[in-house]
Amino acid sequence: MAPRMRIVERRIGDVTILQLIGRLELETGDLILRDTINRLVDDGQVKVVLDMKEVTRLDSAGIGMLVSKYLTVRRAGGTIKILHPNERTDHLMDITKLHTVFEVFNDEESVVKSFGGAIHGV
Amino acid sequence: MAQTPFGRRILVVDDDRGLRHVLSELLQGDGHTLATAGDGPEALEMLGDGSGFDLVLLDIGLPSMSGLDVLARIRNMDSPPLVIVMTADDTSATLLEAVRRQAYRYIRKPFPPGTIIDVVNEAGTPASALSIEVISAKPEWLEIVAPCTLEMADRIQSFVLHLEAHLPEAVLEAVASAFRELLTNAIEWGGKFDPNRKVRISCVRTKRLLLYRISDPGEGFDIEKLRHAAITNPDDDPMRHLQVREEQGLRPGGFGLAMTRSLVDDLIYNEARNEVMLIKYLDEGE
Repeated sequence: MAPRMRIVERRIGDVTILQLIGRLELETGDLILRDTINRLVDDGQVKVVLDMKEVTRLDSAGIGMLVSKYLTVRRAGGTIKILHPNERTDHLMDITKLHTVFEVFNDEESVVKSFGGAIHGV
Repeated sequence: MAQTPFGRRILVVDDDRGLRHVLSELLQGDGHTLATAGDGPEALEMLGDGSGFDLVLLDIGLPSMSGLDVLARIRNMDSPPLVIVMTADDTSATLLEAVRRQAYRYIRKPFPPGTIIDVVNEAGTPASALSIEVISAKPEWLEIVAPCTLEMADRIQSFVLHLEAHLPEAVLEAVASAFRELLTNAIEWGGKFDPNRKVRISCVRTKRLLLYRISDPGEGFDIEKLRHAAITNPDDDPMRHLQVREEQGLRPGGFGLAMTRSLVDDLIYNEARNEVMLIKYLDEGE
């Protein structure tokens, strides 16, 4: 079966932006997200933005992985911030009280600036 | 053309020459190998012994022989390919008959190009396709029994939600998310992803409510011991259960019940908690 989510990765200064495209669900997107963030942490890239605009479906396993990887990155001295949550993602974050955990942004410049980094693409 | 690692051999069966061409271009561009047929007899001839097709995209409104009859003939073959039914006929009777005849998935025409690509790429292999047992296929009472696999969750959700496609988007979204959470819970925790174990699903619809009942083959659970679920977290610590899950070696998650409770009007478990009903009340006209 083909993967149901793909991640487009780019860097702005020392901030890594992961654009999630597709379904962040059990046994599919959640594992891709886990592996990607684990690799970033191993490489010392711990300022991470998840651009959620193109997440078409999100379930509790996907939310669980978001939070789990948030903790992984925090333990490594960094953080994960959420960019462009769509209405559905926003609602699920609200239900699960994760608005109290993640910083959420609706424009890229603001989220990059919030890390205190430069805004030049790499 | 080189195939992707997921490239399939696909037969498109539709009397619309334009659609056959568009689907061929689209799916070949995605790495699949395509052939086309304009009616049922031609398709059945092409699907004869040793054809090696993995997947058939089958229109229902075909001339000379109904797509549903073609579907039944395909399913009687020794090694049948998966069949994805495409139709502009949006009556629930057609959908239910497609389920009864073991269609793999169902797509309502017209569909955006991305939908067909996604459905084709998400399809398993013919060898992995398991059957859904249809107990009742009435629009107001659909009842099925299905093996406990994650792929089955996608198939079931696709069929069930097509029956409710006329609902307002927000209602459909809420029902879809809640139904999927409970179904995957049943398949994962009750069925242990074991295709030899079965979940039983009933979908009952009245003018004023939708009721889904899911029975899993597990022993149920004790809610007092669900410290690995978000519903037991204190208000000021929405991540506490993740620590418990980590200690117990469970995958990240545990938000399913909290989400489901917020998305539907009633969520009722039986005493053992291996059967659950979710209810969504509808406004008149929904």
